[in-house]
Amino acid sequence: MLGMKTRKRSAMLLLSAVMSISLFGCSTGNSTTGNAGQAAGEGSTATASAETTKPAGGKLVLYSAGPQKLADNIISGFTAKTGIEVEMFQGTTGKILARMEAEKSNPVADVVILASLPSAQALKADGLTLPYPDAENADKLNKDWSDADGNYFSSSASALGIVYNTKLVSTPPTSWSELATPAWKDVVNIPDPTLSGSALDFITGYLSVNGDKGWDLLESYKANGVAMAGANQEALDPVITGAKSIVAAGVDYMAYSSKAKGEPLDIVYPEEGTVISPRPAAILKSSQNVENAKAFIDYLLSDEAQKLVADAYLIPGREDIEATNRANLKDIPQLKVDWNWMSEHGDETAARFSETFK
Amino acid sequence: MKPGVIDNNRIFRRVGVILALFLLTISIGVPLLLIFWESVYPDGQWDWMAPIRTITGQHLSGVLLNSVWLGICVVAVTTLLALPLAWMMAKTRMGQHRWVDVILMIPFMTPPYIGSMGWILFMQKGGYLQQWVPSAASWSELFFSFWGMVLIMSLHLFPFLYLLLRDAIIRIGGNLEEAGAVHGGRAGYRFRRIILPLLLSSYGMGIMLVFVKTIAEFGTPATFGRRIGYYVMTSEIHKYISSWPIDFGKATSLASVLLSVCLVMWYMQSAMSRKFTYRLVGGKGQRSKRYSLRGGAGWLCGFYLALLLILSVGIPYFSIIAASTMKLRGAGLSFDNLTLDHYRELLSWGSVSMKAIGNSLGLSLAASTVAVIIGTGFALTIGKSSSFMQRVIDLFSLLPNTVPGIVMVVGLILFWNSPWMPFTLYNSYGMVVLTYVVLFLPYTVQYVKSSFTQIDGTLFQAGQVFGGRPLYILRRILLPLIIPGMLAGWMMTFTIATRELVGSLLILPPSMQTSATYIFAQFEQGQVSLGMAMAVVTVVMTVLMLLGIEVLNSKRKWNAS
Repeated sequence: MLGMKTRKRSAMLLLSAVMSISLFGCSTGNSTTGNAGQAAGEGSTATASAETTKPAGGKLVLYSAGPQKLADNIISGFTAKTGIEVEMFQGTTGKILARMEAEKSNPVADVVILASLPSAQALKADGLTLPYPDAENADKLNKDWSDADGNYFSSSASALGIVYNTKLVSTPPTSWSELATPAWKDVVNIPDPTLSGSALDFITGYLSVNGDKGWDLLESYKANGVAMAGANQEALDPVITGAKSIVAAGVDYMAYSSKAKGEPLDIVYPEEGTVISPRPAAILKSSQNVENAKAFIDYLLSDEAQKLVADAYLIPGREDIEATNRANLKDIPQLKVDWNWMSEHGDETAARFSETFK
Repeated sequence: MKPGVIDNNRIFRRVGVILALFLLTISIGVPLLLIFWESVYPDGQWDWMAPIRTITGQHLSGVLLNSVWLGICVVAVTTLLALPLAWMMAKTRMGQHRWVDVILMIPFMTPPYIGSMGWILFMQKGGYLQQWVPSAASWSELFFSFWGMVLIMSLHLFPFLYLLLRDAIIRIGGNLEEAGAVHGGRAGYRFRRIILPLLLSSYGMGIMLVFVKTIAEFGTPATFGRRIGYYVMTSEIHKYISSWPIDFGKATSLASVLLSVCLVMWYMQSAMSRKFTYRLVGGKGQRSKRYSLRGGAGWLCGFYLALLLILSVGIPYFSIIAASTMKLRGAGLSFDNLTLDHYRELLSWGSVSMKAIGNSLGLSLAASTVAVIIGTGFALTIGKSSSFMQRVIDLFSLLPNTVPGIVMVVGLILFWNSPWMPFTLYNSYGMVVLTYVVLFLPYTVQYVKSSFTQIDGTLFQAGQVFGGRPLYILRRILLPLIIPGMLAGWMMTFTIATRELVGSLLILPPSMQTSATYIFAQFEQGQVSLGMAMAVVTVVMTVLMLLGIEVLNSKRKWNAS
């Protein structure tokens, strides 16, 4: 309570400081127009929410992490079906969260698609998500990846594997521990978990299974010259050009799509199992276009959109849909990870990891 | 000045000061205040100790020292690169080759992370150099060290120092040096006792900006620095601002430390500048002696210029162009791996990329024009920063250059998107223009200030003696003398605005892209070739535009012999 009070008071202080600066221009008129503007603003939001009850037409603001082509395809499919115009901001999970933070006093996004489940869990925990329990086809989604109350829906996922340059590597390593052997000294990249949600998922996932012993593997990586190298694409790029041979914990869809282009790349999933990183979509509580946002979630989970997901070399979020161009869920050996542990220990793990690898 | 005109001038000046203060407060002051606010108010709790705790608790001293050491080394290397060149271009026949100036703008127009990528692709294991000359494998990876990073950053920034120094040397003119020669001073003595003191003011301004640009730079530390494990303040700030968990409080605390370092630099520079500013542009005609270079000296100068051009433009652009024309990045340099498909895709009419280019050009034109108008006003108001208010304006208009771009942008967002604003500019075209203007205002202010402070007051007195009214004097004496500074500021703003990235990433409305964010997105999406092609296209367009201006400008020779 006390906190609230001081907060309010200091906000007032700041406000009056700023007001007195702007009053410099016009002395009395300002405050009244300010109030009027505010009142008008409230009025317009009220009418806006009344208007959005009809789903057809209008607009939707989407912040999306992940492959842009997929997002473009989903948007054009969605617009064709509903007539709703979509404005999109494309970036990594970190950038999207930063933008949301910067905009928190005046949010504009309706729907976010992130590349990391713990981030979506955090959004839910902060009360920023709007539950939509009646989403169509939500019952067909992989239960482990989505929220039971409908706060977020993982409409796609990617598995993490060992991605290697086929020109430089003829017999790829088959286990995570093999990367710590002298054969792979100084030729391995690992994405930075503070920039790549999926890399963080792998590291916390591995630790959630192996406990503190898991750090032994990571420390032996460091001792073997494994380099921490930016987000996923930044870690992969030197492997494509041949400066490095291997990405440990690389996202598989990037490897598949580069391979399809003809680049000398391939991927293996280590036999002791890996982590699959779901890509959750959520409606934000601050959404001004709730009905459109709901329609978008319905579309994301539709057969049509799930097919687009599969075409982009991602694992479809619905269990009843399979991809033909890549390893499917059942073919990938998985670690029995604990998502709750992972989302609780994400921060400290990322911090310790980057401290170790600096 | 005569008592009668002083009143008139004083009113002008006072109005200017008030207007400038007002504009600076709403565009720079309040946004930065909000940043500080955020840093002492983390998690909704008032906590003025928070910044200090952040700084002591994050092994920060090492990172701060890294930043400062990097800044010092880059200043040293840019000086080594820029000073001889500036002298050659001002004092020898080489100065006739105006195209050199435009070519030398290329490194500055290249987004720093693209330039670094060019160097990395060239020097790394299996890179272009090793594909060409396999024996280079034994040493080329030594490039991945601190000094490699210093070299990359210096090659990116030296054109800026060069332009300032060259203009200053031209302004010094020949007669002062001739006077020295007549009185028996030898070349070394003349350089030490005449040229050097007269250069100090411009040089101080130049190296301060180079220093600040270096320690506020994000692109090269993010690409090259991360690779060699050299971490600086900006990479730490960026970490807190763009990766989970977001912590503006920590980021802003670090930013305030960076800001303090820069303010100390600014204070030293302005003290030095006040001591060493001389009136050089007087009413008398100036002749500058141009040495014709014959024999060994000519060859040496030519060789030096060629080396600079190869290092600053040749190598990075070889890599960038090579990467942009590759079918498969994994297949390396070979003729059957060449394609122009990426350019075709990029330049197809109505494509996303063409829209991005259009946006970039439109925004940069708008921003640079606004920045020149406002910046010139500020520079004239600041004048010789004799009064306290003028120094305050000077400080404020320089701030955007001393705060890391990303911090300034977050401040602008906090301000222009706050719930208590009667209208929000955020998420609109105007917001982007405003951001660019704020970020690049210091360039115009610096350039105009540098040409204004060296004009001798007697010129205006002469104008008044002959009955010129203030407006007439402004139009016929002041403007012609500061137009080169305004033009340089305009060009600088335009070129940097076309490649601005960090701010654009946060501030562009959804669905709107500029060429820089397009390039960045392509890198993120694994379409490196497409991104590199975009870099080439934007730089070629900007060069063509600058060449056009250069041609127009060369018809009107200012202060030349």
